[in-house]
Amino acid sequence: MTTETVSRRDAAGGGAARHARRHALADLLTRWSFLMPSMLVLVVMLAYPIFYTIEISFSSFDLASFSADQWVGWENYREVIGDYRFWESLKVTLIYLVIALPLQVVLGFGIAYLINAEWWGRGILRALFIIPMVVAPVVAGGMWRMILDPLWGIANYWLGLVGLGPLDWFGDARLAMASVIIIDTWRWTPFIVLIATAALLALPKDVFEAAKIDGAGWWSTLWSVAVPLLVPVIAATFVIRWLGAVKMFDIVLAATYGGPGKATNVINLFIYEEAFRSLRFAESAAMAVIVLILTMVLTGIFLRGSRKLEELF
Amino acid sequence: MSAPVSSSAPAGAFGHRLRIAAAIIVSLFFLFPIYWMVLTSFKQQVDIFTNPPTFFFTPTLATYKEYIARADIVRRLINTVIVATGSGLLSIVVGTMAGYALARIRLRGAGTIGLLILLSRGVPPIALAVPMFLVARKFGLTDKHITLILAYSTFLIPYVMWLMRSFFLSLPKELEESAMIDGCSRYGAFFKIILPISLPGLLSTLIFSMILAWEELLFALVLTNRNASTIPVAIAGIAGDTVNGANWGALTAVGTITVVPVVIFALLVQKWLIKGLADGATKG
Repeated sequence: MTTETVSRRDAAGGGAARHARRHALADLLTRWSFLMPSMLVLVVMLAYPIFYTIEISFSSFDLASFSADQWVGWENYREVIGDYRFWESLKVTLIYLVIALPLQVVLGFGIAYLINAEWWGRGILRALFIIPMVVAPVVAGGMWRMILDPLWGIANYWLGLVGLGPLDWFGDARLAMASVIIIDTWRWTPFIVLIATAALLALPKDVFEAAKIDGAGWWSTLWSVAVPLLVPVIAATFVIRWLGAVKMFDIVLAATYGGPGKATNVINLFIYEEAFRSLRFAESAAMAVIVLILTMVLTGIFLRGSRKLEELF
Repeated sequence: MSAPVSSSAPAGAFGHRLRIAAAIIVSLFFLFPIYWMVLTSFKQQVDIFTNPPTFFFTPTLATYKEYIARADIVRRLINTVIVATGSGLLSIVVGTMAGYALARIRLRGAGTIGLLILLSRGVPPIALAVPMFLVARKFGLTDKHITLILAYSTFLIPYVMWLMRSFFLSLPKELEESAMIDGCSRYGAFFKIILPISLPGLLSTLIFSMILAWEELLFALVLTNRNASTIPVAIAGIAGDTVNGANWGALTAVGTITVVPVVIFALLVQKWLIKGLADGATKG
């Protein structure tokens, strides 16, 4: 094979160059062919809808033809920015994110430490922690609505036994937010537990033995040995959880439907309602674009931040 | 040196036992809601609305019988299986090839594409739902399985790509390099060498993708109404049905139908699942 090509190249240089070029082109095609199918699907299903959203957000929307009508410039954006309900739902989303994410990361790593205790049941417990994760969020929302029900729910019954409550979980604005965070935390903490379990098991044992020999206490071992080693994983978990949390929709829909009032009306539910109930497609497109940009910027910052953190430690 | 260790041993053993007990209690807390849902699904209406709540009662399948027919559960179950399998398979095939390209093949601009895809995991589905609905309506594509399968691929493909990319990066390069020196084509090396050893990673990624598609609500709510409607849509309908008061029987029965198959499946393959999940997060 090789001798043949070599001899042919000797015989006719031009033909061989053309051959080589065609070969290089074929090679380039083969290499790109791995990436092409997914890019095709993502361009059609992801990029096109995003650009279409942007187009609608700058247009008036014609309900008769169900499509973008006239270019109206920033009018939809002005309307959205002037709408206090939009800001309210952004605030609600922010409160949820700021409380739920750190809570879940801390709980997740704490529980992972507990279930990593060496005994025969460790594997079973770890397997059981998969279960809440695979419960559909909408089921989790409905299920917890039953458990937290003010009249018949078992949570209030138990709280009554210890002298607390009954609490009006879904009638009070703050408690409704607390319920949403409880449900979300119940569903998502196991995910962090499993990642954290693996991360804890992967920690190098000799470092801890060295710390013990040096006479380091429990707290200083945790703080100056374990935490720095775990920082990359904690950062990665945080980013993954963030990516899931900005999609928050199903749990609120099933548990509170944004209520009472607008106390748990997260931005995704608000946009959904505006688009598909009030049929205000142009305004909701403008909101979607704003949310898209906000999420992208924050995701970018978190990704950069998590890399920086890794370098720092 | 050994003295302080042995003297602290009883306290250590006690701490160890305390840790195990805490672990068990926490696990029970996390499992209780599901137990309670499954239990409630076998109750009659009179046993559901009692105070104090009942743990012992005569079980009945009445709610199941009623709601399987009324909420069109069988058809929705079939739809959910079709859509989850379809989008899972599409994403794993397409996403694995792309993940391999990003991990191993030198391509001009691939880094940028990789970054864009990673960022696309942060695209809120609501930003896609509005235009998808409008476009699907325009082309008469609403309420079709294929529409939902393609819609789900928007979040599954980036997920598969990223997980498989980090998986391929963890494999030694020499594997396919030596195969290609021996005359294997790029495709030959990929299919004959790389894929077979990637099976555990592939399987756990596929299962996770299918679970994500199985429980998706927003796109299903927006893009289907009858023929391709999935189980989460039915649950959202029952949960939101406040006209008849809280319909807990229906909610728990349909919820149990949705959850139990996935839980059994996930427990069967839990070793791969945990490993795939952990690798994806810690090596990603």
